[in-house]
Amino acid sequence: MTMTAIPYADTEAPDVLVERQSRSGRVAMTLAVLGLIGLAVMPWWASTGTIRSVLELCCYIAVAQMWNLLAGYAGLVSVGQQAFMGAAGYALFVLAQTYGINPFVAIFLSLLVPAVLAVPIYFLLHRLDGPYFSIGTWVVAEVFRLTASNMPIVNSGAGMSLRVMKDFSSFERNVAMSLLCAFMLLVTLGGSYWLLRSRFGLALIAMRDNPIAAASQGVNVAKLRFLIYVAAAVGCGLAGSIYFMAQLRITPGSAFDPMWANVAIFIVMIGGIGSIEGVLIGSLIYFIADRWFGEYGATYFVVLGLMTLLVALYARTGIWGLVSKRWDAPWFPIRRKLVHRKL
Amino acid sequence: MQWFDALVQGILLGGMYAQYALGMALMFGVMRIVNISHGDLVILLSLVGISMASAWGWGPLPVLIALVPLAVLMGWVLQKTVLNKVVGSDPLPSLIATFGLSVALQNLMLQIWSANSRSLPGGGIESQSIEIGGIYIGLLPVIVLIVATALTWGLDIMLKRTRFGRALRAASADVEAAAMTGINPRAIYALATAVAVGILGFAAVFQALRSTVAPADGPAQLIYAFEAVIIGGMGSVWGAFIGSMVLGISQGIGFRIDPGFGVLAGHIVFLIVLATRPQGLFGRA
Repeated sequence: MTMTAIPYADTEAPDVLVERQSRSGRVAMTLAVLGLIGLAVMPWWASTGTIRSVLELCCYIAVAQMWNLLAGYAGLVSVGQQAFMGAAGYALFVLAQTYGINPFVAIFLSLLVPAVLAVPIYFLLHRLDGPYFSIGTWVVAEVFRLTASNMPIVNSGAGMSLRVMKDFSSFERNVAMSLLCAFMLLVTLGGSYWLLRSRFGLALIAMRDNPIAAASQGVNVAKLRFLIYVAAAVGCGLAGSIYFMAQLRITPGSAFDPMWANVAIFIVMIGGIGSIEGVLIGSLIYFIADRWFGEYGATYFVVLGLMTLLVALYARTGIWGLVSKRWDAPWFPIRRKLVHRKL
Repeated sequence: MQWFDALVQGILLGGMYAQYALGMALMFGVMRIVNISHGDLVILLSLVGISMASAWGWGPLPVLIALVPLAVLMGWVLQKTVLNKVVGSDPLPSLIATFGLSVALQNLMLQIWSANSRSLPGGGIESQSIEIGGIYIGLLPVIVLIVATALTWGLDIMLKRTRFGRALRAASADVEAAAMTGINPRAIYALATAVAVGILGFAAVFQALRSTVAPADGPAQLIYAFEAVIIGGMGSVWGAFIGSMVLGISQGIGFRIDPGFGVLAGHIVFLIVLATRPQGLFGRA
């Protein structure tokens, strides 16, 4: 873009600075780094049971943040991200169990599967209008589930076990799980934060607020949506691989479980759509509620469903939306703020 | 002959899907929203019908006569209390709201009726068959197909000929312009959803008669309705009907190839249509 031809008269450039970080942001960043280090060294302070619970929480956060990127910024409301979780999980099991590749290498190789699958799926589904796109993603997840149920290489409907994990000691596995948790949050949360603070972030936020206006400002909405879809597929794939590695078992029913869509939608809507803070708040609420009220089974899900409904009707910005209306102290500031240079 | 039989069975199955798809086509055509709890409403109505039959010893016809007005009322209340608040150009609120409703409904049904599969006793009608040219055709699927055709025809006539139909089409073409001519869009929307869910009252009775229903069955019905609407072409009533037939035939032939392949065959045909003719078989490009 060359727009130098516009003659600005003798106006002086305003004496301002662009501020991109805030005190609350610096505090939160320090805590986040400490938290990640704490996650990575879990084997030295936590029991195996705790590590497994934390791993589950980390998977919720990762999947919810991917859904947040899709629905909150790109306007792509998917209810079928479990397709990519299951596909990557199955890829891990086939590579490690059937072909004998080191499972911790296989986890990263398995990410190629969701990345490659996401491309044709996006080109098929992006033709569907708004709400129909959502059900389309669900159909794709169902196709994956039924295909896995009929595929001999993944042991059809009976599922697979990751028996190679017994070659590693319990401590080695704990170290790997902890490092993978830290890595997963670094990639999904850290990656999203980096993305939102970059030039792409400006485009994404413009797109979130109004896709047509964003396009008129030169944002390539179609391309950005495609890239976000592929990135979210890989992010969900990573969560799926790690989750099923910890589970040691995968079946078509568990791999492509629509429950993940419920969880992601609940977390993001309750916590606050379009913000990283909302995902963290929502994940914690869901995790604690699941521990406390999970035993009530169906009643618990009725309440969960009704809460999602009420948030959609009356408080679309979720908890973080209400909080940030009251206090302006973002944990992950992504705004560019102009401040007067102190003289 | 075996394949001809699969074709006939597929068309009959399509009659069932058409009863799900009509309501979805109507709601999307008018309001541009998809009700994720569409399938769960069918199952809820089925279970209510089954409970009525067992409590008062009713046959299928009294259950149908009681269930359809109940369904109409449910649709109207759904629109008034939930959907009217989320209608708009942004698809997210309506999706999330009906998604939450779907989760709540499924689990509520699980609590009331438990996870068991149930069915509606039809007094012998479900096992009767008629022979045409060497093929035995179940009487019930034929009735389902006839009712589906009648409902499609009735809905089409209603949209084309009646005052309410004209108001509906006006609201779907341009809400604001329709409002300027004195149409109250919210009232029209409430009636449209009442009609859409009312049709599900028929679907609920036939679904419970021809097979079993369980609280977790709703999402599958939603997906079939959705596929039928997309295959046929959005916003057209006869398109949804033909789409249901295509879906039913694909599944019928798929089941004949391999029982594990039936549902998948339907999904694959849907994806092929989406790849080659995204506007649907009868949609305008």
